[in-house]
Amino acid sequence: MIGSTTLPPSGTGAVRRFLREYGHEILVALAILALLVGVGLYNPRFVSARNLTTIFSGNAYIAVAAIGMTMVIVIREIDLSVGALIGVLATISGTLAVSGAPIWVAWTVPIIAGAAINAISGILVAYARIPSIVVTLGMMAILQGGLITATGGTWISNLPPEYLLAKMTVLGLPMPLVWAIALTIAAGLWMRLSPFGRSLYLIGGNAEAARAVGIEVPRRIVAVFMIHGAFAGLATLLFATQLQVIQSTTPPNLELIVITSAVIGGVSILGGTGTVFGSSLAAVLFATIGSALIFVNVSAYWLRAFIGTLILLTVMADMLRRKRTMKGA
Amino acid sequence: MTIAQTPPPAGGPALSVRDISKSFGPVKALKTANLDLRAGEVHALMGENGAGKSTLVKILAGMHAPSGGAILVDGVQTALPSPRRAAEAGIAVVHQELLLFGELTVAENVFAGHYPRKGGMVDWAFMRRRAQELLADLDCHDLDVDRKLGSLSVAMRQRVEIARALNHNARVLILDEPTAALGERDADRLLEIVLRLRARGVAILYVSHRMNEIFRISDRMSVLRDGTYIATRNARETTEAELISLMVGRPVDQMFPKTEVPIGGPVLEVRGLSCGPMVKDASFTLHKGEILGIAGLVGSGRTELAHVLFGVTPAASGTIHLNGREIRIASPRAARDAGIAYVPEDRGAQGLVKPLPIRENISMAVLDRISPGGMINRAKEAALAKRGFDMLGVRASGPEQIAGQLSGGNQQKVVIAKWLQTNPSVLILDEPTRGIDVGAKAEIHRLICELAGQGLAILMISSELPEVLAMSDRVMVIAEGRIRATLSRDEATPEAVGHAMTARRSAS
Amino acid sequence: MLKRHGHETVLAGLVVIALLVMSFQSAQFLTTGNMLNQGRLMAEVALVALAMTFVIVSGGIDLSVGSTMGLCAILTGVLWQNMGLPLGVVLAIIPIIGLICGLFNGFLIIRVGMPPLIATLGTLALYRGLAEGISQARSVRGYPEWFAGIGQGSILGLPTQIWILGVALVLAGVILGLTRWGRTVQAIGYSEPAAHFAGLPVNATKYAVYAVSGLAASLAAILFVSRVSTTRSDMGTGLELDVITAVVLGGTSIFGGRGTIIGTALGLVLVQVLKNGLSLAGVRGDGTLVLIGVVLVLTLVAGAFMENRVRR
Repeated sequence: MIGSTTLPPSGTGAVRRFLREYGHEILVALAILALLVGVGLYNPRFVSARNLTTIFSGNAYIAVAAIGMTMVIVIREIDLSVGALIGVLATISGTLAVSGAPIWVAWTVPIIAGAAINAISGILVAYARIPSIVVTLGMMAILQGGLITATGGTWISNLPPEYLLAKMTVLGLPMPLVWAIALTIAAGLWMRLSPFGRSLYLIGGNAEAARAVGIEVPRRIVAVFMIHGAFAGLATLLFATQLQVIQSTTPPNLELIVITSAVIGGVSILGGTGTVFGSSLAAVLFATIGSALIFVNVSAYWLRAFIGTLILLTVMADMLRRKRTMKGA
Repeated sequence: MTIAQTPPPAGGPALSVRDISKSFGPVKALKTANLDLRAGEVHALMGENGAGKSTLVKILAGMHAPSGGAILVDGVQTALPSPRRAAEAGIAVVHQELLLFGELTVAENVFAGHYPRKGGMVDWAFMRRRAQELLADLDCHDLDVDRKLGSLSVAMRQRVEIARALNHNARVLILDEPTAALGERDADRLLEIVLRLRARGVAILYVSHRMNEIFRISDRMSVLRDGTYIATRNARETTEAELISLMVGRPVDQMFPKTEVPIGGPVLEVRGLSCGPMVKDASFTLHKGEILGIAGLVGSGRTELAHVLFGVTPAASGTIHLNGREIRIASPRAARDAGIAYVPEDRGAQGLVKPLPIRENISMAVLDRISPGGMINRAKEAALAKRGFDMLGVRASGPEQIAGQLSGGNQQKVVIAKWLQTNPSVLILDEPTRGIDVGAKAEIHRLICELAGQGLAILMISSELPEVLAMSDRVMVIAEGRIRATLSRDEATPEAVGHAMTARRSAS
Repeated sequence: MLKRHGHETVLAGLVVIALLVMSFQSAQFLTTGNMLNQGRLMAEVALVALAMTFVIVSGGIDLSVGSTMGLCAILTGVLWQNMGLPLGVVLAIIPIIGLICGLFNGFLIIRVGMPPLIATLGTLALYRGLAEGISQARSVRGYPEWFAGIGQGSILGLPTQIWILGVALVLAGVILGLTRWGRTVQAIGYSEPAAHFAGLPVNATKYAVYAVSGLAASLAAILFVSRVSTTRSDMGTGLELDVITAVVLGGTSIFGGRGTIIGTALGLVLVQVLKNGLSLAGVRGDGTLVLIGVVLVLTLVAGAFMENRVRR
């Protein structure tokens, strides 16, 4: 029953611990690698610098949005309004940029606004005790409708070039990629190493027990929704500054893509497990699959069917694993 | 009101509870609780189900705010508005339902909510090392602290929770029914640990039902009844009988109106029934008009046996004959159709649909009969509900009252009424009086005897030994998934049952 | 009556107020022509919402209805035009496809044990992906006249959809309110273990609930394709949100157990009145979405406070 006899020498203990802790993340990374190598051998243009930039940089905003979503799902909640929120924040940011406000204002306001808007959802979930799925469904309608009502779905053009963050580079690397990596690592370490970050796993794992060890659960729920909103703001900056124009509508299905990234990345919808490393990698896996389909001459229209299958398989594996853990006593 | 014994001079009490009360809406869970807990003593807190023990424990854990009264820690009045404040005051609680995190590692579970920090960040290396030390201290030298907690046995998980308490250097440790789910050996090891902690000067409040255990380790016992403090006794100056009469508030045999009923032929014959590790090779016969009591500890397999008979977890092997005919029971539906009824242990979750009215609960198991062509015949349903309601004397405004609003005893009557509609030949009762106050208990007991008198064959599971002994015609003792003994009414003394319950298997 | 159906009563009041306000806002609003046309337009959402009421009352949810509808719409076109099957035969096959989609959801939820939310999120992507993959974004047009009659024609002066909706509404209301099956769905939603321990057929009932949801989505697909005389793979996108909004607005508890068909019907009507009335009053189309969202959230908050009061 106790694993003393199978305990390997202490030198490999850290490696083993790492493998055990990040098994799913490693699996996703290997899948990306396998795709890159496999499809690259079939069609070398797949691994050209240009295509890789499109894959990684063009989808970086999804990884960033998935960071916040990961935290929300880890505490066993969900947010269906993140796509609409990003649409709204993009319009706010773009409007500020063309109206002559300082660029830093156009960059910071969406982050603050994202946190503020999501605070409403968080309060309704935590204090009015309404399930997050319906709260955020309502928020989604309000944000989507509000956006189009206010703007009429017009395009914002003539964005000042210095506003276009996504087109900038750092040390030759595209800015969105750098941001996505930096934010993922920062958020991942924070969730692993800070008492606040760990408390999210406690809440998602067993809310009653979390309360018993002294965590103020409702307050944390509001905080997580706000942090998630701030990450949506950061994602907005990478999303809205890719082109010269911003369309004042919400990107279709974005919330599902973000949620799916988290789920495929190993964040259990049952709460309490999963890391932002996994969800960011899954966002990349997504984009890689989408691009790979084109390069192996499979119609991109099949992408979503692949993703659906992937979600179902991932969740099934998670269910099986949980059953095994609980039985393994 | 009884006044608490004045504490002896050996230092003031580590924890004092003064006239604590607690109301949940109109329900008074605690009226006046008093308690003095000294450093270095094991103090047993006793009382029947519903006496207010759990409420008191939750108040001391900072999970419920008391409605009145005061708590003194080392003689200083202290408010415990949150679990965190309780921990800071040096009070640690090992809850009955083990409040742990199955998906996280053992090490993290020990420190959950109180992480060691280095530069503001969680110090994982220290956490793992310290968890190892704490667990080694509890005789778990080899436990891999990186394992997920969910993969450990219940006994191990409990030790992790104790390690958590020790990590806070708790001066007051509260253990709520810690051995309820443990086997004999694990329970023994736990008691040794408790005694070791006492030797270190920890004040231990020990909530338990098991008399032998309480006499083995306790220095003093306090009794609660109906939310009120009754008395405190020194272990050396009291007896089991005295404690029971303090808990019950009247001599024991007055409680159970057992009537003699002629016992008929066999109704249910079970041979070699097995299912998983909790039901092994069960064979017994249940007769018409008989009450067959099942005694066993929590986790002994008694509820699991009932679940096999009722088709919740169908049998893997063995045969069941009902009224001479062999039957297969693959689901509760099949059991119902065969004539077996089951009043489950968890009344709130399994026995009743609480938000529905009494009428819909009573008709639930016989919906087929009153809905020809799929349409429910409302008149028939109302008549049937009224009959059941009146027959069992449910105290409510009427059959339309929401079942969840009733008291425990009346809820139980509704569950029994539901099953009587199916005209069963076998009635399985799992903890029929759990959480029911004393008066209603006697009513339920009378009802059970009446049903037996009408020729029903009754299988009654209970963790309250006095109940089993007084009500049963025969007593079947279950331990570790096996039927260990079947005793006649005369043979079934507390000693004989206790012996059968705890005797280790001779073979292994 | 008022006590048990307080939500429905409040909702009916809201509908009346909305009707009054809207008819003052625009002369076209309260005309027979407009009303009948609105009935036609809301048919697909309404049909699916009736089925969804059962799903949510049983304690589940089905996010895949829009995708099921899209898949069924595409298959209608593909089976008829590309595979050359007679349209009549196709119309018999499509409901079976819908049933299968629903049963697969049931399989994932009941057999595999996935939470309904995530299982149907997966099939939302899967069914839509199949629709996109099969159609390769090509649309199908040129349906025969008789087929268009279903979605565009009238019977005795009333749009076909009104008749279908009427029948579906009565049927759903009777089933949920008066039958053994409806009672079973409700009991499962309030407490699945208790229903199981009372010998009710829990799994079979849950399978049926999801199958009916898929079936309703496939019927909605036929109505929709017939109404617009074309199929596209993005048909029904976002349908799940409209549907769930109407059901929850109608007072069905997202936790399961409580819910009525009358409530869902009122929720549907309220949404449609707001949409139509505001657009006639010159408010741009999506302004209504804000209002619907606000009404939804306020309903929930009010419900949460009422429930808290009852619990105490």
